[in-house]
Amino acid sequence: MSRPVLLVRDLSKQYPMNHEAVHALRGVSLTVQPGEYVAIAGPSGSGKSTLLQLIGGIDTPSGGTVEILGTPLQQLSDRELTRLRLTRLGFIFQRFHLLPVLTAQENVELPMAEARVPRQQRRQRALDLLRYVGLADRAGHLATQLSGGEMQRVAIARALANRPALLLADEPTGELDAATGQEILDLFRRLNQDGTTLLVVTHDERLGAQAGRIIHMLDGRIQSDTSDIDSAATPRHHPATPR
Amino acid sequence: MRGLGWSLKGLGRHRLRSALSVAGIAISAAMLLDMVMLSGGIEKSFAELLLARGYHIRLTPKGTLPFDTEATLSGAGRLIAAIRRDSSVEAAGAVLGTSLYSRRNDSLVTLFGYGIQPEAQALYTLESGHDLGPADTTGVLLSLPAAHLLGAGLGDSVTFMGRLDPQVVTAAVGRKLVVRGIVRWVYDYRGQPSVGTVLPAMQSLAGQRIGDHVSLLMVKVREDTAAALVAARLRTAFPQLEVNSVADLVRHFKQRLVYFRQLSYILASMSLVVTVLLIGTLLTITVNERLGEIATLRAIGISRATVVREILLEGAVLTLLGSSLGIVLGLLTARYLDSILTSFPGLPAAFSFFVPRGDSLTTAALVLLLTGVLAALYPAWLAARAPIAATLRTEAT
Amino acid sequence: MITRARKLGGLLLLLVTAGARCLWAQVPAIAIERQLARQFDLSVGDTVSLGTQVDSLNLLVIVGAIYEPRPDPAEIAKRERHLRMHLPDLASLLGAADRVDRISIGLRPGISADSAAAILDRGAYGYRAFSSEAIASESSQTFLVVSRFHRAIAVITVVASAVFLLCIMLLKVEERRLDAAVMRFVGVRRRTIFGALLLEASLIAVLGSALGTVLAYLAGAATNAYYRRFFDTILTFSIITPGIVAFGVVLSLVLGALAGAFAAWRLVRTRPLVLWGRG
Repeated sequence: MSRPVLLVRDLSKQYPMNHEAVHALRGVSLTVQPGEYVAIAGPSGSGKSTLLQLIGGIDTPSGGTVEILGTPLQQLSDRELTRLRLTRLGFIFQRFHLLPVLTAQENVELPMAEARVPRQQRRQRALDLLRYVGLADRAGHLATQLSGGEMQRVAIARALANRPALLLADEPTGELDAATGQEILDLFRRLNQDGTTLLVVTHDERLGAQAGRIIHMLDGRIQSDTSDIDSAATPRHHPATPR
Repeated sequence: MRGLGWSLKGLGRHRLRSALSVAGIAISAAMLLDMVMLSGGIEKSFAELLLARGYHIRLTPKGTLPFDTEATLSGAGRLIAAIRRDSSVEAAGAVLGTSLYSRRNDSLVTLFGYGIQPEAQALYTLESGHDLGPADTTGVLLSLPAAHLLGAGLGDSVTFMGRLDPQVVTAAVGRKLVVRGIVRWVYDYRGQPSVGTVLPAMQSLAGQRIGDHVSLLMVKVREDTAAALVAARLRTAFPQLEVNSVADLVRHFKQRLVYFRQLSYILASMSLVVTVLLIGTLLTITVNERLGEIATLRAIGISRATVVREILLEGAVLTLLGSSLGIVLGLLTARYLDSILTSFPGLPAAFSFFVPRGDSLTTAALVLLLTGVLAALYPAWLAARAPIAATLRTEAT
Repeated sequence: MITRARKLGGLLLLLVTAGARCLWAQVPAIAIERQLARQFDLSVGDTVSLGTQVDSLNLLVIVGAIYEPRPDPAEIAKRERHLRMHLPDLASLLGAADRVDRISIGLRPGISADSAAAILDRGAYGYRAFSSEAIASESSQTFLVVSRFHRAIAVITVVASAVFLLCIMLLKVEERRLDAAVMRFVGVRRRTIFGALLLEASLIAVLGSALGTVLAYLAGAATNAYYRRFFDTILTFSIITPGIVAFGVVLSLVLGALAGAFAAWRLVRTRPLVLWGRG
């Protein structure tokens, strides 16, 4: 078996609140292999988003470890963590979080500009990614001129900009209607089929059904972790995926 | 540009806010520029006035400044000869200032009279007609206001009187002189009616011929750099005289106008404080509004350095826009303020308080730019230290 | 130029013979400014030598009094020092007997100074007559210029403050746009929101005015303390009158309320969904 993309061991997180500690996560451990499509489900307050944020290095755990491609996050400086997020991870948020003053293309280019990709190269890749998500004709529109579904697709393209090893998505269909949400789910399936490793936090049962593996969480702990043996096979590369 | 200028583009999102901020910075920049011009303008303008004809040193009665009092030096010819013996001296001349009178219709008019040595003078520039010869005791030069007051022009004869005696209601001395030229007297205030004759003629009119009295002596040195040394030598040679180089006179003048210099420092400081407050407040509020965006950028891998750079750039651009507008505004307000201050009674018309110079413009712009960037430091720090996860959670609620 | 002489002690005075006492009585007395006395460490009873040339300090005088000069703003920057002596003594020193610069005339009650000056002028030759008011008006031209300059600076400062105030008000009010949107969603009227914001802006203006007044008094006190020390004078440089305070407070209240009203009006005329970010 190849090296796991993600290795979480005994991860915990507490928040101080009114002189008490709120245990958002209690000793969570999991492993994600390359090419997996993992859904994390559970009721509100079960710790799903907290887990995602700790995996993404945008929050610090109270205990436990997280390794991305064998690199323990706890040993990294803030600058190194930022660099890791830029080059190894892709983030997709429930509320899209595009920059409203930039166009769709510029939003996709942003992580590449930070990674100092030459201007011509990053412009071309941004267009390729927008074409991949079906928005090539909206490249020049400001983010505020896009619909919810379009914004989320641009956010997905942005997350793919620097060819991440792992894509993290927090409730990606939470702000979308059913039809638009389905478009996003279809895109996720295509991404996974093209070899992208996905870890998605969701309430959406359809996504749960689509994912190869579902982790149920409750009260900060993993209640169950199903995995589809067929889905854990070697990722298939599709020529349509911009690499 | 790594951040693709997302912060700058945000300026266009709130046009009224950005426009008002730029306007506020422009007014502060204008004030700062004006105060920089004022603080340096006084001495530069005065020094230029003093060096207008290239004379570096003035000698006056002990404890006085040129034309400050009616005190005079005696033995001017002897003093001039002694001064000219110094090999560093290129030229030396004497000047007598006095009150003169003339008649226009039935009225007695008062004029200011300069007794000059035309071959060594630093007091006037010829505007029309021709200059006096060194021995021309029948000629007179008029300022334009004097010409209007007397109703005289080139070639006209005018009778001048000195030493009016109220008891016998007559003048002790009178002399008819021919107008040779119309001149601009460098140190005259606006509208001053001044006339000039060769020194012996004016001494006669003023009753100062016996004793060869003059108001001041002026010295031109061969090398500009030798002025201070020559002044020191003259002080030693003539301890009974007040010897002032241009630098000394500028220092005295600055002392008299110290209030304006200090006011300029105070107002300049206030302008900078206003700029800091304006930019700091604007950017802090803008950063607070965009914390969600900033947290997102950090989450997707944009470094703190890039975020800080973007905020500082926004502060710099606001300041740059405001400064550019402010320079234009500052030059206009400087003209207005200068028109107020140059109406001081007795101030030479050629003098200016606000002197636009390249270095003052550059200084003001650089100081402002630095201030704008410094003012953006706090909001930039706020942006950089915002906790990503907590901010995203707050934005989600 | 003056030279310093040693002060006579009381004992010495007692030892002076009648003849010596007569001799002292012939020495002219002068009055000197406090600043001059301090500069040369002089006190009443000291003798000094006066002259019009550096090499002819021939007139011996005695310091008869030390006075505080009338604070004259036109003179303080010059840092000149003055003394007073009897007119005949000065005329004798200058060698200009019976010459004066001006003659002061006191009029009987009821006589107009301007008409008296006009009468004198009619027969004047070699002099002119002015009323004291006319001289005061002429000599105060310098201060009129300074006043105009101060006023111009004040106008610029007020304009800058108004722009600054408007900008800050806009920012602060826009920070509340989500709150305003929620209030509109739940049915709060525009008028209520406008009134609340206007009240807040006015309160801030009142507080700011009060703070500004305190700062102005402190700055004025600091200005007077500094310049009195700098110029060694008792002149008052900064005076804050009730009228000035009233003007400043009213102006800042008006500007603050106007800025707040404008910002509040912009907020309440925007549709709630646009405020919420969804419009």
